[in-house]
Amino acid sequence: MTESNPATHRLILMPSGRQGQVPHGTDLLAAARSLGVELESICGGRQTCGKCQVAVEEGAFAKHAITSSADHLSAVGPVEADYCEANNIVGRRLACAAQVVGDLLIVVPEESQARKQFIAKAAGERAIDVQPAVRPYYLEIPAPTLETRLGAWERLQHSLAEDWKLSVDSFAPTLLAELPPALSGGRGKLTVHVWQDRQVLRAQAGYHEAAYGLAIDIGSTTVVAHLCDLRTGALCSTQVSMNPQVRYGEDLMSRVSYAMREAQGTERMHRAIVRTLNELAEQACAAAGIAVEDVLDVVIVGNPIMHHLALGIDPSDLGGAPFALTVSGPVDGRAADIGLRLHPAARLHLLPCIAGHVGADHVAVLLAEAPHESDEVSLVVDVGTNAEISVGNRQRIVCASSPTGPAFEGAQITHGQRAAPGAVERVRIHPATLEPRWKVIGCADWLSGEGGGLPAAQATGICGSGIIEAVAELRMAGLLRPDGLFDDARLTPRLRRRGRTFEYVLVGAAASATGSDIVITQSDVRAIQLAKAALYAGASLLLRRLGIDHVDRVLLAGAFGSYLSPLHAMALGLIPDCDLSRVTAVGNAAGDGARIALLNRQARLEATRLAGWVEHVQIATDPAFQDTFVAALALPHASDPFPHLEGLLPEPAQAPTASGVRRRQARSPRRS
Amino acid sequence: MTEPLDLTKLETPELISQMQDDLYDGLAVEVTAGVRILLERGLTPYDVLTKALVGGMDVVGADFRDGVLFVPEVLMAAKAMKAGMEILRPLLVETGAPQIGTMVIGTVKGDIHDIGKNLVAMMMEGAGFKVVNLGINTDAEKFLAAIHEHTPDILGMSALLTTTMPYMAVVIKTLKEQALRDKLIVLVGGAPLNAAFAEEIEADAYCRDAAVAVETAKKLVAIRRGQEA
Repeated sequence: MTESNPATHRLILMPSGRQGQVPHGTDLLAAARSLGVELESICGGRQTCGKCQVAVEEGAFAKHAITSSADHLSAVGPVEADYCEANNIVGRRLACAAQVVGDLLIVVPEESQARKQFIAKAAGERAIDVQPAVRPYYLEIPAPTLETRLGAWERLQHSLAEDWKLSVDSFAPTLLAELPPALSGGRGKLTVHVWQDRQVLRAQAGYHEAAYGLAIDIGSTTVVAHLCDLRTGALCSTQVSMNPQVRYGEDLMSRVSYAMREAQGTERMHRAIVRTLNELAEQACAAAGIAVEDVLDVVIVGNPIMHHLALGIDPSDLGGAPFALTVSGPVDGRAADIGLRLHPAARLHLLPCIAGHVGADHVAVLLAEAPHESDEVSLVVDVGTNAEISVGNRQRIVCASSPTGPAFEGAQITHGQRAAPGAVERVRIHPATLEPRWKVIGCADWLSGEGGGLPAAQATGICGSGIIEAVAELRMAGLLRPDGLFDDARLTPRLRRRGRTFEYVLVGAAASATGSDIVITQSDVRAIQLAKAALYAGASLLLRRLGIDHVDRVLLAGAFGSYLSPLHAMALGLIPDCDLSRVTAVGNAAGDGARIALLNRQARLEATRLAGWVEHVQIATDPAFQDTFVAALALPHASDPFPHLEGLLPEPAQAPTASGVRRRQARSPRRS
Repeated sequence: MTEPLDLTKLETPELISQMQDDLYDGLAVEVTAGVRILLERGLTPYDVLTKALVGGMDVVGADFRDGVLFVPEVLMAAKAMKAGMEILRPLLVETGAPQIGTMVIGTVKGDIHDIGKNLVAMMMEGAGFKVVNLGINTDAEKFLAAIHEHTPDILGMSALLTTTMPYMAVVIKTLKEQALRDKLIVLVGGAPLNAAFAEEIEADAYCRDAAVAVETAKKLVAIRRGQEA
């Protein structure tokens, strides 16, 4: 650990996660810029435009080894105070006016980011049989007379039974207040929305066919909401946001730890996510031109921790073995119960979870991709900080989660960053010249040498897909040996010494936004080896459980999976060998599964059946895990064959050195 | 390929450096053969251990620390070391050779990850320590029982999760209550930890990886023995 220099302070910026040391007294606007985070600023630091607002997150952050406090920024001056008072700004500072005088964790709100987070999760078009849980029914109920003894509710029940053969037995608490105006306003003609054929949610005068629902996938980094027409199944709008809980902990376990540590932790994280869900609902309704009150059903999926926090359940038990869920089955309730502001009677459904690490999001992926309806053996992987893996076909499916860690999200990588504009996302290395070409997010062209000159073409760092391609390309070009060590036998000015190992200069200073080289170090390669081995080992243990040695197809789910090049994933040994044309990205399959469950009530039953039928394997405690993991550290693997990579990997420079064969001649260079 | 090497024809210093290479390359058969030859030539078991095996593992540790070697290579080397140790261990006891030290190690309660901890255990064995590996999900009681049984110099605790690492503080508190804390060197490690955390829970040191753990263990044991002497 580096000792903190009193002349500098540690600054961490959320949600980008960028961090570094900044000199004492630097203004926050400049400090953020030095760490590659551009804040919006129109007035150029004159404290008049108010675009660079940020918030200080107070508290001790053990993970970052800092204590952040509002008084670690210089005191509010008169200009800033006046501006904030005039514009009703509370709890935020103007970055241009505040100087760093201590360690800080700063939250940069979306509107203050000069470059908005780039999130590519688009709902795929899938054919879904529309059988929603909430349906409208049009009724004409005769006006009451002096002889009418029954109340309006009872007459509604009769009418539904007679006209629609429905026997409803309950009503939402708000229904009775809606009923008289609905009946009188339409002179007996009204529309009611009924949930699961048994509960009346809403009554409106006259004929209304509009009913909408939200399908929500709460990821630990991004939250996706699909607004759907419950009648036609049409997708009206998709809205995406960062998960606001990132500020309480970047990865899942940090959030559980926050809940364990802080008395209000669960409540804060619950409120934060609900606020975001309400914003997404409002945005989606505004985009589709409908009223939020017309949203009557919500389906939420997420990993177990997101699932629990959405419900306001303390996730502490999920923080350690035996990783016990508070509720594993599906949850039905009212959206208002968790604080969603839609129609007050709107329903809420959460798909079931499979185990402490395999949640409703994975059930949704299975629902969408339906490996259980095929004879072919599928490997379904959702790659994140935890990879959820399922293998099988209609006979049997086994699943597990594997702790890949945050390396695939750019963490633990020297120049790693999240997928945002400026991040290197694609890499090619010429096998003969060993020169790289790359693509950055936000610029369509392939770049090389000194880059494209345009600001948008300047690289700020490397994101997950970029680092995977880079390591795979380095391997294919022979710059990395199968054991992951840089091989300096291949001469190129791009490969330079760093300590006792080497680093590869991917983007030179001239083409980078930071003004320094963007490199891939030996320890970056090691971090990727650890992450990919965890995933591969998980998949191979599941294959072994099924007694098979290969799969027919590989489905890569999640935003990250969409950007993963199948060839590079395989060359790295992230996924087992398979016909490359059968390795496909399926996008936000969890969101698609949530849409299916929203639009089809049978699918909810199917999800429950699946969650119980799929067998969960605890791989960390499998006696074979260690050996399987260690063998999977090699690029692509120490022993598993990869026939589909034939000709793509360089022949080993030396004869293969199986155990027990003398390698004495290799001694001296390695002792350097 | 070179001709197969006849170890018996090598002079002792040359054989020792050959054994260090073989250890580096994870060649268990060659290492055990070398151990036998050295013993036949009259070296004490303690000299064979420290000069040939521990000396070789020092190189492995340094290269692991510097990123030259990675987990698979280190495990191979540690296995070769273990093969050599199996011959030496009874002889060391017989000859009353000085003890390098004993370590009790485990992954703390709630955590089921143990590859990193196993690597530390193997590297510590490689450095000549006796290691008692308690496995995963180890609670304070189990740690204490092992401490009473083995009276180790070092207690090692590992955690991979942010949520399980606070349990280390619970174990240390229990040690204090039982007046055992000062009798032990407490080393902690695992992905979510850092030096500040180790300091906060009053462990003696945070060890970033297995190589650092070995270096730290050796250093702290030497200091402690120096104080006792």
